[in-house]
Amino acid sequence: MAGIEAQAPAGLSAPRVVRPAVPWCQRAVARTVFYHLAVGVTCFFMLYPILWLVGSSFKPPDEIWTNQTAIIPNEFYPQNYPNGWAGFGGISFTTFYRNSLFYATLGTILSVSASSVVAYGFARVRFRGRRIWFAVMLVTLMLPTQVQIIPQYIVFKQLGWLNTFYPLLLPRIGGSAFFIFMIIQFIRSIPVDLDEAAMIDGASKFGIFLRVILPQLTPAIITAAIFSFYWTWDEFLVPLIYLNSPELYLVSLALRTFSDPSGQTDWGAIFAMSALSLLPVFVIFISFQRYLVEGISTTGLKG
Amino acid sequence: MAAATLTKGKRRRKSNFGQDNLVGYLFIGPWLIAFFLFTFIPISVSLLLSFTDYNVLANSGDFIGLDNFQRMFFEDRRYWRSVNATVKYVVFSVPLRLVFALAVAMLLNTYRRGVGVYRAAFYAPSIIGGSIAVAVMWREIFGNDGLVNFTLNLLGIEGPNWLGRPETAIWTLIILAAWQFGSPMLIFLAGLKNIPKHLYESAEIDGANSLQRFLRITLPMLTPIIFFNLIMQLISGFMVFTQAFIVTQGRPLDTTLFYALYVYRRAFEQNEMGYASAMAWVMLMVIAVLTAFVFRSSSYWVHYEADEGT
Amino acid sequence: MNRTRVLLILFSIVVLVLPSLSLTAQDMTEVRISWWGSQNRHDRTIATIELYEELNPDIDIVYEFQGWRDHWTKLSTQAAGGELPDIMQHDYARIEEWVANGLLMPLDGYLESGVIDTMNISDSSLAGGMVDGQMYGINLGNNSEVFTLDTDAFAAAGIELPPLDWTWTQFEDIANAINEALGIHGIGVLTSDQLWKSQYMGCCDQWAYAADGMSLGYEDDQPLIDYYNMLLRLQESGGMQSYEDSVARGDQGVEAQLIVTQEAAMAYHWSNQIVAVWTASGEDRNFVMYPIPRPEGGQSQNYIKPSMFFSITSQAEQPDEAAAFIDWFVNSVEANEILAAERGVPISSVVREALLPNLGAAQAEMFNYLGIIEMDNSPIRPADPAAHADVINNVFGPEFVEPVMYGMISPEEAASYLREEANRILGAQ
Repeated sequence: MAGIEAQAPAGLSAPRVVRPAVPWCQRAVARTVFYHLAVGVTCFFMLYPILWLVGSSFKPPDEIWTNQTAIIPNEFYPQNYPNGWAGFGGISFTTFYRNSLFYATLGTILSVSASSVVAYGFARVRFRGRRIWFAVMLVTLMLPTQVQIIPQYIVFKQLGWLNTFYPLLLPRIGGSAFFIFMIIQFIRSIPVDLDEAAMIDGASKFGIFLRVILPQLTPAIITAAIFSFYWTWDEFLVPLIYLNSPELYLVSLALRTFSDPSGQTDWGAIFAMSALSLLPVFVIFISFQRYLVEGISTTGLKG
Repeated sequence: MAAATLTKGKRRRKSNFGQDNLVGYLFIGPWLIAFFLFTFIPISVSLLLSFTDYNVLANSGDFIGLDNFQRMFFEDRRYWRSVNATVKYVVFSVPLRLVFALAVAMLLNTYRRGVGVYRAAFYAPSIIGGSIAVAVMWREIFGNDGLVNFTLNLLGIEGPNWLGRPETAIWTLIILAAWQFGSPMLIFLAGLKNIPKHLYESAEIDGANSLQRFLRITLPMLTPIIFFNLIMQLISGFMVFTQAFIVTQGRPLDTTLFYALYVYRRAFEQNEMGYASAMAWVMLMVIAVLTAFVFRSSSYWVHYEADEGT
Repeated sequence: MNRTRVLLILFSIVVLVLPSLSLTAQDMTEVRISWWGSQNRHDRTIATIELYEELNPDIDIVYEFQGWRDHWTKLSTQAAGGELPDIMQHDYARIEEWVANGLLMPLDGYLESGVIDTMNISDSSLAGGMVDGQMYGINLGNNSEVFTLDTDAFAAAGIELPPLDWTWTQFEDIANAINEALGIHGIGVLTSDQLWKSQYMGCCDQWAYAADGMSLGYEDDQPLIDYYNMLLRLQESGGMQSYEDSVARGDQGVEAQLIVTQEAAMAYHWSNQIVAVWTASGEDRNFVMYPIPRPEGGQSQNYIKPSMFFSITSQAEQPDEAAAFIDWFVNSVEANEILAAERGVPISSVVREALLPNLGAAQAEMFNYLGIIEMDNSPIRPADPAAHADVINNVFGPEFVEPVMYGMISPEEAASYLREEANRILGAQ
């Protein structure tokens, strides 16, 4: 790890480009080679689980357990994919993907936008009871869902919302405590001078939020969106309890519905569908992550 | 002196960056509504249930005072094993995850070619989720001739039967947690991006070397994010569930029986929701005290640009 | 610019995929049903339901299905919320707990009136669904514990197949002989609570639990101690997989058994699982099914167990229609041709006859094996007491099996602790 520690600050080398390049040249090349070598090898270990999963998803049924450690199957068996995609009794993964994409997208938008608004309230507006409500919000994170499930089920039953997406989506109108707290921390590292300047110009609190704070929160919001999408995509306990009709099942639920410890299980199909289910999460990550580094930071008091 | 400036400061802000109850409640309104509609009742009910012997299937229970607490503290040996496993996990996994996450975030916060690919790779173990295929995969990796022992073999070390030995099983889960440092890493990356570049430029003009720049600029500017990650890792460390649930199921000899897993089992395998709720509330108290402690300490080491006193 | 585009794409996804948030009920009699299983069972059960709806156009069967563990999480939540389906798939180890809490409906009325027709079903096949003298679950398939032997491995080791009434002593010798000859294990771990429950049938005509379920059903710990001493010997010699190894591999389902990967020549499992074992091993392998070994001079340790039940819940809205469906599900040849004995050997003799000609190798072996067991078995014992899960999860596993197999305490010490704790839990129900 020492190598990385020493290496780390060099990562922030962008401004150094202005220095005279010649004496640095050779060292820079060596550094680049070392960087890619170290990071590349580590990458293999990080990617191994996924490589193994994808490899196993192409193994025929009698090879899954008999040739377990291999990444590359002896016999290439793509049939696992159509077998898995077929789903259950005519309800295919087309349905599950449609439901999951709907839920994860809408859930993420609700969660992240509500969290930003609430976080701004906590971080920049001073009101009576602020600290107490903030503490209450944190405490809600500390109680396992498992002991809340049954009373919550009865509440939603009274509301007549069983077998719908409402119990999954509506609680998100208040944001999520995790994201609220995260965004608060980001807002608090933004200097107040800009707010005050805007205020003198006559902007309202909401105006400051929209025009001053929000643009500077892009990295935080992107991060929250990536997490929220993945967590929503992967969620199973709450969907399991509230979604009864197989037409409403999510990908996460369907994956758990493939196997029976005491009966016959098509492991190839499970591996195939598990590997495939990583794809949307990956796509979201790849397309969002570049906002975390590209372009010049708009932050700061420079101007 | 300090007190004087503080009150003075407060008064100044009050007048000009004003206290505004109505606006404040408008902003946090969505959260309050959702809290009272969907969270308040379940949480209060679970608190009430913790003083009863409520059984899910019977859908009834009697008030039994503090019996549940007496039972868990004095009569239930598995309870203490679960405490033991959880504390061990938190003590080792939280610092490991934070250090890995910060180190890798520093490493990947560059404009080099291919850095997006690397980020995806480092984030990959964190998104593979908790499906049954993943359970099989983790077992394969820590199995007798899996990836871990294969690598150790290359280094000339004979690896143990990781998941089968009571001494090593919990370490597989700690390693697994350290491996899945993707979420704190991303948050660090976002935090690094928010550090104004001009700070580095002026430090460079002053002739600071990279270690000095890290210690004087990066670290202090990042403290709000480090603070956030510390709190959240602490909370999620105590509530760790999925890894043990899918990979070890608490075995062997209850060395990986995490607290939340034991709560789940009492709640849904023995249907003892009253007892499970009591256990959950004890954990809540412990986490709350620890969190409060970290919050107290934050005034000594967390640096906010907008320091207007929470 | 870019940001707007991302938002636009996200928005259009939501609009495009927006599914209807709730489904509208049709103007038919709705019967709700819920089961656990794997893809194979879901496919077959849904196809059977569709056939039933075709034959009964006024009935709409609304189904839910999930994995084993999720089934119980979901159904106990539904029970607390008063939202149980009309029919639920049930398990022998849990049915008494559900009956004790008044969640299931007695079916005796439907049996008497013939709504559920038992003409072609033997009493021994139905007995498993009786709790306190009343019928609460209709058996969906007969099952029994089995020792499956890999005949190719036996041949390679030069070991003769034992007689069907083999003893534990013979078993131990064979396991060790295989280990010596082939360098693989004789068998995987044999620490299942199921073997503990039937342990006392063979020697002493007793059962793990007393008839009233308020205490253990055996007085003498010695047979249990002897059995675990044998397991410790086998673990030491390699005749049996070490417990440590089994923990490391975990419960990964039937397909991961050592017999599949040819790391053992024998396997212990339920008879209906032979299909999964054979499929995962490959068609070219050869297996034969044997009863559980018995003590020297003792009787059979096997009994015929319902693999699972259909029960009607006390919250059912359409119990009559539900009973009619169960009757068809069990007795109809058409239905069972689709179901293909996936839940175990069908209980109706007519159905069994009809299925015989079309069985695959694994299924034929299973039918044959249950025929053998039906001739020589011990009577089925009462369903497990309500506190069974508590005893197994909190005492038998973590306080008995694990410390003994890891050599932390002696079988004697563990057996007496098991007795003490189990009696305390059972007595307090």
